[in-house]
Amino acid sequence: MNKRAIGTRIEQTTDSDVAISVSGLYKSFKLPTEKAFGLKQAILNRLRGVKGYSEQQVLKNLNFQIKKGEFVGIVGRNGSGKSTLLKTLAGIYYPEKGEITIDGTLVPFIELGVGFNPELTGRENVYLNGALLGFSNAEMDEMYDDIWEFAELKEFQNQKLKNYSSGMQVRLAFSIAIRAKGDILLLDEVLAVGDAAFQQKCNDYFNSLHGNQTVILVTHSMDNVRKFCDRGILIENGKITLDGDAKVVAKAYENLFKK
Amino acid sequence: MSIPRVFNKRNRVLLKELTKTDFKLRYQGSVLGYLWALLRPLMMFAILYVVFAKLLKIGGDIPHYPVYLLCGTTMWSFFTECTSQGIQAMVSRGDLIRKISFPKYIVVISATLTAVINMLINVVVIIVFALLNGVTPSWTWLLVPLSLIELYLLSLGIAFFLGAINVKYRDVTSIWEVLSQALFYTVPVIYPISLVAGTSVMAAKVILLNPIAQAIQDIRHNLITPESITTWNYIGNAFLQVLPILLVVALLVIAALFFRKKSKFFAEEI
Repeated sequence: MNKRAIGTRIEQTTDSDVAISVSGLYKSFKLPTEKAFGLKQAILNRLRGVKGYSEQQVLKNLNFQIKKGEFVGIVGRNGSGKSTLLKTLAGIYYPEKGEITIDGTLVPFIELGVGFNPELTGRENVYLNGALLGFSNAEMDEMYDDIWEFAELKEFQNQKLKNYSSGMQVRLAFSIAIRAKGDILLLDEVLAVGDAAFQQKCNDYFNSLHGNQTVILVTHSMDNVRKFCDRGILIENGKITLDGDAKVVAKAYENLFKK
Repeated sequence: MSIPRVFNKRNRVLLKELTKTDFKLRYQGSVLGYLWALLRPLMMFAILYVVFAKLLKIGGDIPHYPVYLLCGTTMWSFFTECTSQGIQAMVSRGDLIRKISFPKYIVVISATLTAVINMLINVVVIIVFALLNGVTPSWTWLLVPLSLIELYLLSLGIAFFLGAINVKYRDVTSIWEVLSQALFYTVPVIYPISLVAGTSVMAAKVILLNPIAQAIQDIRHNLITPESITTWNYIGNAFLQVLPILLVVALLVIAALFFRKKSKFFAEEI
């Protein structure tokens, strides 16, 4: 077995003003080459001394700190490593090298409606999704009506999820997600849901977060970066190329496409 | 990782919700629903009973043989259901593992708890059948849960170990299917252990060192008839008597450590 180096990820609660601190973060993936699936091929590869995978370095030596209460937008082109960074911060992936320190409780939304099952009713899905986000049953009971109110789907709560339109599903998921109370929110492209009226509600929600909550937002929408973020981080090819004022970073991102 | 953190409130809520979901989904869309949890093992028992007790006439000298047989088949179904569900748990819950960070062992435990619920329902059925069959209740019934726990911990150990490998090499699912079928014939479920003892005492002793055989024979001994051969009353050596339990504990500890080590990379490998 190949020994894999492992970095560290620490969660703690102190009264320092830094919410997230990342230093020297590296992450790579082993991508199986064409002929490396299954046990037979794995054994054959081992016997022949073939590696069976190629290594792809996704994050290369990232260093940054995020202060408590900051609203930070992470931008970059497809495949630049944004989502990998978010998943590593969230603890889904282990850092390969380097150190991540999280101060406070962290709530990640890598995707809305994680665990949603089409065969379950809306009610059952709300409780399941809530449990995945870390809510207790008592907390869920308390916010249950508000969730349906906000989603504007009250009359569908006992229907199976497979009978919801995709827009309805996303609205329900979003309504649960925004109840989550954590010191740090990680959001991956969850802004654009629903029709114009629901969009307005979402915008109000994000505005309410501003200043009160540490938020890290991964997005391709520079409008949202300008509207909500204090600070932007531009990632290109797994490296931070610009870290600063949100408007400056949004401009730089747009310039990437003008070449 | 300390025990209180492993079973903290958040993880307990998660375990409960995932188990509920698994149980609901299992019988989703079937007319008889949860009844299948009862019907399936009873039908399996009926088939085995006709073939082995009636046609092949095995087990004639064992008191309450039908219940004795039912007990064996139920415990075996529990073992196979528990292990196969547990092994596949990580893969079938891959969507969660890729998207949120939570202790992965919860997925394995929730998948196996469905099997536990089914088994407990079936234990009630066994008790009803036993009473109908004229078995007199005894204080030894109180010992049965210990054997059930042993069987569960063994299944959990296998599920952790093979489930961790299954994330990368899905062949494990198929291998285990065949292997457990082979294992079935090494355990005295459909044949009484006395049949083996009649030809080779040595073979019977070896069979009884298997924790599955030991647990099933203990349950039969404590629940149905004290005439059942068990590891304790058949093997003289004190070390060999406790060997099955040592095996279960060792397997569970090794499997849990192995699972914990591997689980760091499940999200990217699945």
